[in-house]
Amino acid sequence: MISNLVYEWRRLWSVRATWIMTFVYLAITGLLGAGPLFLGDGSFGTQTWKGLYSTNANFLCLVMLSVVASQFFGHEYRYGTIRLTLTEFPKRERVLLAKTLALAVYVTIATFLGWAVLGVVGFIAPEGSIATEGPGLNINGGEASELWQVLVFGFAYCVIAMSLTMITRNLALGIVLPLLVSAIIEGLIQLFAGVANGKLDRIVDVLPFANGTAWLTHLPDQPNAGLIFAAWVVGIYLIGTAMFFKRDA
Amino acid sequence: MRIEAHNLDKHFRNVHAVKDLSFTVEPGRVTGFLGPNGSGKSTTMRLMLGLDNGGGETLYDGKKLSSHLPVTRTIGAHLDAKFFHPKRTAYSHLRMLGAEAGISKARVHEVLKLVGLESVAKKRPGGFSLGMGQRLGLAGAILADPQVLMLDEPANGLDPQSIQWLRDFLKFYASTGKSVLVSSHLLSEMELLADDVVVIARGKLIAAESMPAFLSRATGSSVVVRSPQSEKLGELLSAQGIASTTDGARTIVIPGATTDRIGEIAFANGIPLSELSPRTASLEQVFLELTESGQEYRLGETS
Repeated sequence: MISNLVYEWRRLWSVRATWIMTFVYLAITGLLGAGPLFLGDGSFGTQTWKGLYSTNANFLCLVMLSVVASQFFGHEYRYGTIRLTLTEFPKRERVLLAKTLALAVYVTIATFLGWAVLGVVGFIAPEGSIATEGPGLNINGGEASELWQVLVFGFAYCVIAMSLTMITRNLALGIVLPLLVSAIIEGLIQLFAGVANGKLDRIVDVLPFANGTAWLTHLPDQPNAGLIFAAWVVGIYLIGTAMFFKRDA
Repeated sequence: MRIEAHNLDKHFRNVHAVKDLSFTVEPGRVTGFLGPNGSGKSTTMRLMLGLDNGGGETLYDGKKLSSHLPVTRTIGAHLDAKFFHPKRTAYSHLRMLGAEAGISKARVHEVLKLVGLESVAKKRPGGFSLGMGQRLGLAGAILADPQVLMLDEPANGLDPQSIQWLRDFLKFYASTGKSVLVSSHLLSEMELLADDVVVIARGKLIAAESMPAFLSRATGSSVVVRSPQSEKLGELLSAQGIASTTDGARTIVIPGATTDRIGEIAFANGIPLSELSPRTASLEQVFLELTESGQEYRLGETS
């Protein structure tokens, strides 16, 4: 298993795209974190340290990580290297486990680096721009209840991206589909639900990313949000796994 | 290491690509894997490596491939000249492939030097020619010095010098007791290289035997004789019921005969010979004879 992980780690960091996307992720995280602190005139509300450290749960940040996540399988299928990988490691369950673990490690490192960047941003922010109380700013709807959830939410988003790439065998779809659903489709469904006299409420209740965000921020009226989001992540991952095992390399 | 392919079978929706295929690849020999386009050679190799799901099994010294660890010390496969990330340097590509067997950096450099890619080790292979891609693929296959080499059309895109190098290298590799299975469309090259052949057409086994045995299947084997008394020799042969045809002045061709028999007749009758040689069919002739009906994608007639 160690050699599987070494293989994945070398595969991950030996392409320039990983370095570029990680850098862009950190840059966007820093800019999104700095924006309210440096440009705000009080009308944005109050930013807290926890709100600041929740910045990298923002979809704009996560889409950068999802590019790397999609590459775990996307590059393999696009360039045919999956056949080299599976010749070297014939047991597919080990390949999948190694890729998932490598993704977890990558997301963890990237998230901690993101927090380091946000720490620097907070350190140099104008005095008084970070409050110790009150709701923090975050484009996804607020600050995370607990910071570990930022890490888990980011990993879950990346697992969805990687799984969709497994299913579609298409790098671009693995990146675009989660973004499209989270940023546009769920919003449209919620919009239609507002004028559908409750006919779409059941669908709205089980939207993946709306539930994910609700779990992240502990919305009180959605106690099962975490379970619903987890069910989506696990479900998509299992479908991807089944496809990976069933189809020819 | 002996490879035994048992009852390999593969369907692609409506196409039965590989049909109950069984053959062996012996250690210490180069086995040529031949077949027309679309005959199922690449699919068979993928089945043997476990890359495609299908029927049958392939055993390596009696065990499944995944039982041999590290796998890359058991088998090295090169299936396509473009199986690399175009932005990952040749060196990094091989470092990645060396992870399973714990291949050192020095070995990576050694292999790059062996295949003539040392000067472009730090270059991205996206700009490599087909031949350079083949060399990189071959480097990946031999990186861990495996017991088995499985190569799919490795000579495509190589220049004559590189083809000769590849031939010498594979012969040397097999001479050390390792197994080499290599598919190729270059039949003249295969005739020089392979000790054994496995021939398939439309996914079915046509032949699996040694190269000499395969060549002897040809219907066109004959003996060529050159003699100042060729006319007299022709008459003598005719009197013994052996048909011959003239092939230019002083030369006759005797189909289906052996050099021993013709030599004896000439000697017994005091006929001097300036040439007595067998004319065996080329691999191409035999291949075309045996696979003519099994061509998946037929060519049109040329005018």
